[in-house]
Amino acid sequence: MMLPLAYQLFLDPMPLWDYWPWTLIPLALGVSIVYKSMKCKSMKTVPREAAAITFWILFGMISAAAVLWGIVAIVAKV
Amino acid sequence: MRGAMWGDWRDLLRIAVRIEYPALMSQTSQNFFASGPLVALCGWLVPGSGYWLIGEKIRGAVVGLTILAIFLGGILIAGIRVVDVPGFDNLGRASYVRLEQDSQGHVRENKSLQPDKESSGGWQPIGAWHWTLRAHPFPDIAEKPWFVGQILAGPICLVAASKSVEVAHPVSPDETISATPSSHARIFEIGTLYTAVAGMLNLLAIIDSAYRAGQGAGQ
Repeated sequence: MMLPLAYQLFLDPMPLWDYWPWTLIPLALGVSIVYKSMKCKSMKTVPREAAAITFWILFGMISAAAVLWGIVAIVAKV
Repeated sequence: MRGAMWGDWRDLLRIAVRIEYPALMSQTSQNFFASGPLVALCGWLVPGSGYWLIGEKIRGAVVGLTILAIFLGGILIAGIRVVDVPGFDNLGRASYVRLEQDSQGHVRENKSLQPDKESSGGWQPIGAWHWTLRAHPFPDIAEKPWFVGQILAGPICLVAASKSVEVAHPVSPDETISATPSSHARIFEIGTLYTAVAGMLNLLAIIDSAYRAGQGAGQ
């Protein structure tokens, strides 16, 4: 059987195995833009509000990761 | 006296510049002409078009393009096979079921990827072959619940599903390896997350635009 070895855009997965946490950023940004586009009365305020909520999503996720990492580190020592 | 009068005019002019006159009807969302269900249907067909119908074109464009970008981002990250279609196996083959009965009256449901194949062991068919997704859709969809989120992104998901099934087929019929294997582990999860979140966001947009249409948009 012949399998194509070259990377095919949109068919093969991207080689992101070592960088997958960075994929959180565009997702958080996209969710923020859509959410704030629905919430804000004026679309002029969307960029600023979406940037703010993106920051808070990322901050929350990083905080949660740090807390979980700390718990795992403590449990692993015990 | 004359100087004071010019000063008053300047003040009035400054105030007039600050006044924000209401936009024309054609420039606002007041010119909507669609009912809630129509807005919801269009919102599913083309993400963001529900807002477009009620006159909120910028909002519609931003929401629609962002949702499509997230969905395509998921496919870009994890490959087209991230759209995992219920009713098909890992090699893109449709699965079928039919009821069969043996000589003692026991009834079973036979599942097969080849509906032309004859039953063995004394089982006789008592019904026709049906595609599993049609025979019992809920258990089939429950096996791949992320597809529910993905399908909410609109017909783009159906196109992606068709392509996913197409490229899943083996190069030759006797092979057991897909021509385009699906991704695994984190990459598959992230792709699934992207595509399903895009669909869920579109559901929010559909509800919001239909609600605005029902409320008389922009009020």
